[in-house]
Amino acid sequence: MSEIFEKLSTAVLEGDAEKTHKLVERGLKQGLSPKEILDNGLIVGMDEVGARFKRGDMFVPEVLMSADSMAAGMEILRPLLIESGVKMLGKVLMGTVKGDLHDIGKNLVSMMCEGAGFEIIDIGFNAGPEKFIDAIKQHQPQVVGMSAMLTTTMRAMGQTIKAIEEAGLRDQIKIMVGGAPVDRDFANAIGADGYGSNAPSGADTAKQLVGAA
Amino acid sequence: MTSAQGLPLVVIACQVFQSLIETYLPEGMAKLVTFKDYGLHRVPDKLTWSIQAEIDSIKDPSLIMLGYGLCGNGLKGIKSRAHTLLIPRTDDCIAILLGSYKKYMQEFDATPGTYYLTKGWLESGSNPLQEYQEIVAKYGEKDATWIMDQQYQHYERVAFVAHNQEDLEKYRPKAMEVAEYCKRWGMRYEEILGSDIYIRRLIEIASSPGKSDADFLVIPPGSEVTQDMFMR
Repeated sequence: MSEIFEKLSTAVLEGDAEKTHKLVERGLKQGLSPKEILDNGLIVGMDEVGARFKRGDMFVPEVLMSADSMAAGMEILRPLLIESGVKMLGKVLMGTVKGDLHDIGKNLVSMMCEGAGFEIIDIGFNAGPEKFIDAIKQHQPQVVGMSAMLTTTMRAMGQTIKAIEEAGLRDQIKIMVGGAPVDRDFANAIGADGYGSNAPSGADTAKQLVGAA
Repeated sequence: MTSAQGLPLVVIACQVFQSLIETYLPEGMAKLVTFKDYGLHRVPDKLTWSIQAEIDSIKDPSLIMLGYGLCGNGLKGIKSRAHTLLIPRTDDCIAILLGSYKKYMQEFDATPGTYYLTKGWLESGSNPLQEYQEIVAKYGEKDATWIMDQQYQHYERVAFVAHNQEDLEKYRPKAMEVAEYCKRWGMRYEEILGSDIYIRRLIEIASSPGKSDADFLVIPPGSEVTQDMFMR
């Protein structure tokens, strides 16, 4: 059993989408549950990707190929996860803050949260406070995730949280932040409820925030 | 006047500032000048270790002028040890090359999705066209194109920052070659005449640290650089 998980995490790590796709299918045929395949195969691979990227042993192109492989696996698992009655944990609203056009990290966290059982509302990149506020009113999420790639734009996270407070919406949501330049101290300083240092930990944070971890 | 006055000066800077610093740093003012590889900022952790190793190798208490901004948190966690550090208070090299934090913010607010090119970056070969050429061999055209699209598809502008007419003309063909490739994402090409004022002030403050102001950080011995020092 563990052999296929190992092969799957390696396929994700190596960014081989075709192989990932095949291995997920094989795992299902062998009777493994979608949840097991996700948690013990795909996510284990992405955890290692995150660690290697941080150490400088992997670069953006490789990370993207790995994310694409994870996506290829998720494509098969998504409908099955829903069908198999994995408890839906709630809605996560995700956006990259104003002035920032980077969405690779946000998309990765969204995929991880989806795998964990959340419904994702993606408001895209360069999203100003008003856009967050409108989307919160419209979709009533439990968790709001903000992403920033630059030290220049991470300040917009604090401004967005303030605007949400002023709009009277702060108490109805939990806020998590992440992105390359963001750390726990900064997250605390701007009044976020949670922080994720990489994509898998972003999903773990969302789970903790809704009391599901 | 601070206690840093009179300390020997050491310069540790990114190669991107090499020609500017060499132009304005008076001969004999620094006892040691080291320029470090441009590529280090791609892995901020490596930038931190590499600068810390340079600092740790300096025996006598010195004033160390760092030619870096926060650089994606690359400077976060740097310890001054027995030295005093002087650092431009900016996010990255762009504000320094444009001449001020204010100018950078103006450019940023007007067009956040800007890919900046400079003489240094063009010489080092780090730009989207070069990146594409590097990865196409490994991934093939289809995947390489997809990888590039993922990273740059939302950018709007290529801005070439040069400090004089001569550099502008000399590096324009290369800059335009990169810009031509970036047209695939609808990016437009612009040229900006940078300013040497930030570097000149940095060097001036290195000779009299008491003149430091909000555009610079003077970190005393026994301290650590933190992210919030750069926030304004």
